[in-house]
Amino acid sequence: MLRRITPYLFVLPLLAFIAVFTYVPIVQSVNLSMREWDFLSPTKPFVGFDNYRLLLDSREFWNALRVTAVFALFSVPLRLLLALFIASQLLRETWVSRLMRGALFLPAVTSTVAIGVVFSWVFSTDYGMMNALLTGLGLSKVAWLQEPQIALWVLIFVNTWKQLGYDIIIYIAGLQAIGTELYDAAAVDGGRKGHVFRRITVPLVMPTTYFLLMVSVIEAFQVFTIVDVMTKGGPAGATDLVVNMLYRVGFTLFDIGVGSALAVLLFILLITLAVIKSRVIGRKVHYEA
Amino acid sequence: MGIKMIAHLRNISGTAILALLGTTTLASADVTVEFWHSFGGASGEALAQIIEKFEAENADIKIDAQEIGNYNDIVTKLQAAIPAQRAPDAVIMEVTRYGLFADRGVLKDLTPYVDADPLKDDLFNFAREVGVYQGKNYIVPFNSSTPVLYFNKDIFERAGLSEDTPLGTYEDLLAAAQKITDTLGDEGITGIAAPGQFARWGLVMGNDSDLIDSVSGEIMLDAPNTIEAYEFMASLVHEHEVASPDGVTKENNGRDAFLAGRVGMMINSTGNYGRASSALGEDVAVVPMPCNKVCAVPIGGAGIGILSTSDSEVQDAAFKFISFAASPESNALWFSATGYMPINQKTAEQPLAIEALAEKPGIDVAINQLDVARGRPRPPVVTWMRASEYDLWQAMALGQREVSDVLTEFAERTRAEAERLKR
Repeated sequence: MLRRITPYLFVLPLLAFIAVFTYVPIVQSVNLSMREWDFLSPTKPFVGFDNYRLLLDSREFWNALRVTAVFALFSVPLRLLLALFIASQLLRETWVSRLMRGALFLPAVTSTVAIGVVFSWVFSTDYGMMNALLTGLGLSKVAWLQEPQIALWVLIFVNTWKQLGYDIIIYIAGLQAIGTELYDAAAVDGGRKGHVFRRITVPLVMPTTYFLLMVSVIEAFQVFTIVDVMTKGGPAGATDLVVNMLYRVGFTLFDIGVGSALAVLLFILLITLAVIKSRVIGRKVHYEA
Repeated sequence: MGIKMIAHLRNISGTAILALLGTTTLASADVTVEFWHSFGGASGEALAQIIEKFEAENADIKIDAQEIGNYNDIVTKLQAAIPAQRAPDAVIMEVTRYGLFADRGVLKDLTPYVDADPLKDDLFNFAREVGVYQGKNYIVPFNSSTPVLYFNKDIFERAGLSEDTPLGTYEDLLAAAQKITDTLGDEGITGIAAPGQFARWGLVMGNDSDLIDSVSGEIMLDAPNTIEAYEFMASLVHEHEVASPDGVTKENNGRDAFLAGRVGMMINSTGNYGRASSALGEDVAVVPMPCNKVCAVPIGGAGIGILSTSDSEVQDAAFKFISFAASPESNALWFSATGYMPINQKTAEQPLAIEALAEKPGIDVAINQLDVARGRPRPPVVTWMRASEYDLWQAMALGQREVSDVLTEFAERTRAEAERLKR
């Protein structure tokens, strides 16, 4: 008997931890999404799907979803392509590549708030470094964080800059796992560089790409700190990503019911995206040569 | 070796337990008041001095003061702390945003405390009024302010403007800002800082309007004079380009640029007087708010409230501190260090206040404006309205949407929200 339950006893602490900090909040969010509550009132009247209806009817929700989709659609491929390219260049074990890996990884371990503050000043219209550079070259100033068509791209740039190092390190690990004999064989057969990359490297690094794709899409839908520090969703909603809207609705407008409904919708959306990705791309993932 | 180590560890843990017990015993002898506030820099130092004096006089009370962030941060953190049962005992609350907390029973009614305290007679009328919501006293003002117009004398001179340049109307402001930008724009100096929310409210009042009427509660966001005021403010940024858009997306940027000597004028709380003086020295000048149609300014700042969840012993101690902080001596220290207005009628008799009034030119501008100062509304919808206004201001100031469209729609939404909150 003891022998049978021993494995369960080992996983019990972790299960309890996950239950308390993940599953209970999820259930509680679903519950709150059907109630009207402002954190302060002693009662939480049940309102059914009213909060969801309110969200689906609101312009802000669709704007936030559109902005987040654009953010994810451009930042994820950009990150992965750049990371794969840079990782393939830093594969050899030289002191320069080791130094470069460290330098590129630094932003990933730097405080996001600090990064946001620094880049706020870099992209400041009248006092920023970017515009000082532009005006020095005789060009006119750009309202980086005040122009709705530009502000989101600034955030994509900053987020890519921050996350790139992590992606590079993971890609380097993936690339190093590919056996050299395959490249040797390709060389013997006279395979060109591009051909070798397309036919050997890309398919065999697919598990890494798949992992990074999963992680980065989820991360793109959960970006908050950079937005909060740099734009607070502005100008005029141009960078109002879903989590920023969730925070605003829940914690500055006191509508925890609608905020929870938004969290539940985001959860469903991410699960759906994960399932689609696993169905569409998962089949193309090769784990063996 | 092993036995020695175990014995050593036992000694250490024994000592630690004793130390812990000792600390607990000491701590339980005092009443500790957890106090959340929003003051850093010179204001934070002045507050620390007041707390130090209070604790010296009241050895049995400890004030655990914690700087949480700005007023918005305090509201957000407090809101999250209440259901988690981690709320403080006393908290600084901005004068238009405590209504929601009073309405929901989070704040204790301080009327009996105030009635039994010298503050009842000593506070200025305006100061007493800002703490009253639906007939009950929920906060006691600590830092009261009105917006004032600051300008940089050196920038004025370099732009060919005299110190007596008229700045009493929107037209005057624009003309001066335009002159500065035209003359010194190449040096990266702009005419005026984009007005922050408090300044916007002030400019609306000076145009004979309001955002929400403080007496009737009527939503006035779409009143013609409010629209006109917003059109003027937005035009400073996107039409006349005399105010940097940086101050639109980040309101403190405008203030920081003024303090750094990169902006000619700034409309901001009188509570920035200390900061402006230390940054710009004798170059800073303070004049009253423009009276475009009428002379009227909003009363801002914050007061200290007590949480109804705290133990009564702690609440008593918290009020003792509140009363001390609003006393003439403390208030004089606070006024002279920060520029926030005196709230106690006896403050002016204090040597520190007399000295400040004599030696700090412009520190009395806000006091002189009190004749035209108006209280602001504080029903629960104000919190929502103020939180929502930032985004809309950005859209207007950056020229993305028509001011009248934005304010008409915003007024409708605010009315609907007011109805919802009432329910």
